Amino acid sequence: MAGPYLSFEKVTKRFGEVPVVSETSFGIARNSFIVFLGPSGCGKTTLMRMVGGLDVPSSGSIRLAGEVITRPDRRRGMVFQSYSSFPWLTVEGNIAFGMRYRDDLTLTQRQERVNHYLRLIGMEDFQASYPNRISGGMRQRVAIARTLAAGSDVLLMDEPFGALDALTRERLQVELRQIQREEQKTIIFVTHDVEEAVFLADRIILFSARPARVLKDIDVAAALGPNRTLEARESETFFRLRNEVLHMIRNETGDQK
Amino acid sequence: MAAGLFTFRGKISTRAEVILGVAVAVVVLLVWEAVSRAGLVQPQFLPAPSRVLQALWGMVTGQHLVWHALISTLRVWAAFLLAAAMAIPIGILMSSYRVVGASLEPIIDFIRYLPVPALVPLSIIWFGVGEETKIFLLWLGTFFQLVLLVADDMRRVPHEYVEIAFTLGAKPRQVLTDVAFRSMGPTLVDNLRITLGWCWTYLVLAEIVAAESGLGFVIWSARRFVKTPEVMAGVVVIGLIGLITDQLLRALHRRMFKYV
Repeated sequence: MAGPYLSFEKVTKRFGEVPVVSETSFGIARNSFIVFLGPSGCGKTTLMRMVGGLDVPSSGSIRLAGEVITRPDRRRGMVFQSYSSFPWLTVEGNIAFGMRYRDDLTLTQRQERVNHYLRLIGMEDFQASYPNRISGGMRQRVAIARTLAAGSDVLLMDEPFGALDALTRERLQVELRQIQREEQKTIIFVTHDVEEAVFLADRIILFSARPARVLKDIDVAAALGPNRTLEARESETFFRLRNEVLHMIRNETGDQK
Repeated sequence: MAAGLFTFRGKISTRAEVILGVAVAVVVLLVWEAVSRAGLVQPQFLPAPSRVLQALWGMVTGQHLVWHALISTLRVWAAFLLAAAMAIPIGILMSSYRVVGASLEPIIDFIRYLPVPALVPLSIIWFGVGEETKIFLLWLGTFFQLVLLVADDMRRVPHEYVEIAFTLGAKPRQVLTDVAFRSMGPTLVDNLRITLGWCWTYLVLAEIVAAESGLGFVIWSARRFVKTPEVMAGVVVIGLIGLITDQLLRALHRRMFKYV
């Protein structure tokens, strides 16, 4: 198969007359951790939602493995910041949720998958708990596990750690990076937090203010390597990169005034 | 710690809440009893609670009050279940498909504001004076309210849940049954409980219309002979049935939705 795994081809999105994304083209490699970074309201979330099939481009197209995306399906799962887990289901029920729409799995296989992902997120002891009994960080873990268990190849994460306290957030970032490498998934992660972006990303795609255009394509993996530990977060390379990105954003938002 | 009871927007213990609720009710009854016995009001207008209780017992033993209460309860539930069975699917559809919502909202809103008593003559012309009229009037008072409440519950299902389900591979129909319906469960049951209460408020009206049974009939016939204690006893029975039903449904709600 020629071309990138996920490709954006002259993608434009307008809501009514307002252009939100403008003629954006780029490609994403399989199993990479991509962060969409940009000022608030710049259209990065819309771009990600179009990958999920939850919004449709006004013109241009997005292809996954050569196939144009037109509607949502389980290969591209969404993780939101809030209302991320179903309150009426237990942790186990939440993780198993997506599998009820797959008839290729036997009951044993389903249970095995649930157990596997419970272990992966370290929540075996909470399998029978309801979301209102667990912390916000745990709820986000459950959402990630549910998406993986359903069989998503691409995880679309819309500021998933935005509502968490700093420490929990840091822990989840480390865990997410690990999960992504272990499970070999492609992740598109939307944030406006520069530090989070640099810590998580193999590659940061920096967007302009609305309408979103690709402003910079930053290869973080080349500078920071694949392994992100808390030490990596304190390295000089990390800070240098963070500052660079920060300046790019300031220049961009400064242009508007 | 009486001062602790008056913390602005503060909490008090469940025990204190029960004691307060019962105590105030008892005080009101005692004052009422005292006022009546002292002859401050004419007993035709306000008979003492003890007289009402006496009348109540007399009605149970001599006038088949329990049977009348049962008939009324059956009418209320028949109308209520009919209203719910129609309002739940229609309300959900109204918020699922804008086409349905936009088509039905104006007409439902209009009928909702029509006073039920004003439709009694029409109801008699359509259905005569049998059971149908009574059920129809009760249904009329609940269905149009409930359908809008259900539509609202459905509208309040977080869009995130719907989108998560879609990206997990659910079809629209499955999103409706597996996500939207489950998500709205707690508020839906609450709204059903509240509308059941409204249904009872229309009962007397429905049973005044040429009925020969039911609590409304009992109250209305007692009124004709100015048997005020019996009128009040009938009202008290309706209140008691309402109170008990409400508490049962609340308990059911707590059991069904432990996760809330």
